[in-house]
Amino acid sequence: MSTPLISVKDLTIRFQTDEGLITAVEDVAFDIAPGEVLGLVGESGSGKSVTAKALMQLNAGNTRYDPASHIMLNAPGHAPLDVLSLKHERDMILIRGGAISMIFQEPMASFAPAITVGDQMVEQLLLHSDMNRKRAREIAIEMLDRVGISEPAKRFAQYAFEFSGGMRQRAMIAMALSTKPKLLIADEPTTALDVTIQAQVIDLMKDLVAEFGMGILFITHDLGVIAQTADRVAVMYLGRIVETGAVRPVISRPAHPYTQGLLKALPRLDDLDAPLVPVPGDIPSPLERPPGCVFHTRCDRAIQGVCDQQVPGRTTVEDGHTARCFDLTKTSEVA
Amino acid sequence: MMTPLVSLDKLSVHYPLGRRLLGKAPVLKAIDEVSLDIPKGSFFGLVGESGSGKTTLGRAILRAAPISGGHAKYRDGEVDYDLAELPKDKLRDFRKRAQLIFQDPYAALSPRMTVRDIIAEPLEVMGLTKSREETDARVREIAAKCRLNLEHLRRFPHAFSGGQRQRISIARALVTGPKFVVADESVAALDVSIQADILNLLKSLQSDLDLTFLFISHDLSVVAHVCDYVAVMYLGTLVEIAPTRELFARPKHPYTKALLSAIPSLDPDDTNQAQRLEGEVPSPANPPAGCRFHTRCPVAQAACSQSVPSLETGEDEVHRVACHFWKEHL
Repeated sequence: MSTPLISVKDLTIRFQTDEGLITAVEDVAFDIAPGEVLGLVGESGSGKSVTAKALMQLNAGNTRYDPASHIMLNAPGHAPLDVLSLKHERDMILIRGGAISMIFQEPMASFAPAITVGDQMVEQLLLHSDMNRKRAREIAIEMLDRVGISEPAKRFAQYAFEFSGGMRQRAMIAMALSTKPKLLIADEPTTALDVTIQAQVIDLMKDLVAEFGMGILFITHDLGVIAQTADRVAVMYLGRIVETGAVRPVISRPAHPYTQGLLKALPRLDDLDAPLVPVPGDIPSPLERPPGCVFHTRCDRAIQGVCDQQVPGRTTVEDGHTARCFDLTKTSEVA
Repeated sequence: MMTPLVSLDKLSVHYPLGRRLLGKAPVLKAIDEVSLDIPKGSFFGLVGESGSGKTTLGRAILRAAPISGGHAKYRDGEVDYDLAELPKDKLRDFRKRAQLIFQDPYAALSPRMTVRDIIAEPLEVMGLTKSREETDARVREIAAKCRLNLEHLRRFPHAFSGGQRQRISIARALVTGPKFVVADESVAALDVSIQADILNLLKSLQSDLDLTFLFISHDLSVVAHVCDYVAVMYLGTLVEIAPTRELFARPKHPYTKALLSAIPSLDPDDTNQAQRLEGEVPSPANPPAGCRFHTRCPVAQAACSQSVPSLETGEDEVHRVACHFWKEHL
């Protein structure tokens, strides 16, 4: 196997708050190879955005990374870099917008409203390379054209409010890719878009992966979007990856009770008679993080004295497909 | 079809865009001549993309958006109202018969009121109860029906999760004993596991309390699972309407077909790109002439940009579609 582009090991993230230390992410590990799309799925509060932000050290000042945590970035042509060892803002330019770019859910909030879209694209190109303004402008217009924005030269001089929602997200993607990052983090990039526009953006992202060969960390709560974009998927619950593997086996033969629950709660168009089964109970407050397996409070297969006391290790279900659960006997076949 | 609870006849909502000294002021046609019947006791789905006018239609029926043309009848067996011309005293009565559940359970609840006060407010504002005891009894009754823990009535909304808050919003909407409820994207902000719980709750309340729902959503998978009928809107007009199974099994309008094929499938091998739509929804301030969908329609012909297609009924007499050429694309 080739060297992974990014390798996350034992990532544990806590936040210092007035109510005490809150664990947001615990023992998370994953690799992303060049040209690979890893989908990170989970509900609100599962820690998927916090994990993604850690890759660029974008979490707030009250963040405490556990000393055992490692995020190794192996950008081709550069020495391996431990992202969490960067301590100064001035060093961050290596990762933020350099080796790693990020696109966000709400593109209107991500563009400065009073600066033209073109100027914002040029600004980062100048920061991350030694090209002159004229060349940066050419590249920016070329990228706008590449993501399917018509009349790119005219759009270059416009403000974000003059763009429609789908076009803003395209511009966001153009901007993120213009510096040729090795890893793209996409945090719910299609959630705010209508389905017809979402389909266009998904097609575009697939084309761009094929063309630029970068790795993508694709965060979403929508399993359908994951199935259509990702090669591998990691399912998060309360800060832990509970199941991971290639997309097909995880979605068709989920092993972890939480993944199974998510799929049973999902309204499916291929079976309109299937009842919608909610995952029982509510997600616990981060202040009352359950000991043992984090899911045991809502799990109908929880074994008393085991699941509420010990943390389940990673068990291989089939080749490349692992889950953290003490009772993996019941792998339900979901068609 | 059962008797309609709500019956719309060429209902329009037009907003003026600025003023002109001479000539007609331009208008934004948020809803343009929509006719449909919402059968009594049904779970009626209304789908469409942003800007399609689905929210405005829901609000117009609730008299929360101004009706500028056409008629909207409401008949629940006790009263018979023409919503476009409803005098004030009858509007007050209508308010307790028709209610709205909002999208965002975080924004819809006042952080300064207890859950009990939030649910009781409609009763107090409308003067529907005579004593505090009666109000409390009514609040507890509806809270129990919405599966809220009665111990929680004294707490403030910040203590609750998204799913619990949405149950509070539902209890508030149902406390006046409405017959008709508009649920506008009521599960859109929720995680799937909670979404399933709220959808199941709405369905059980519907049969318990004999409610009729207008369920507005952009999520076709959700609509397919809970609704009896589905109406599809595009740029302020109705393009197709049918019983749910019929619509999903045999969509007739090119827009409906494209919408259905745009839903990301859970099967990674099913990449269904046959009917990708180009471009985006045009501005409702300046909609295309003729069929409003013709600028994005993969099968548009010359006639589509000239004349507006009317809603035609198929052979089965329940499936209606507004397209000049629907018969040719079956």
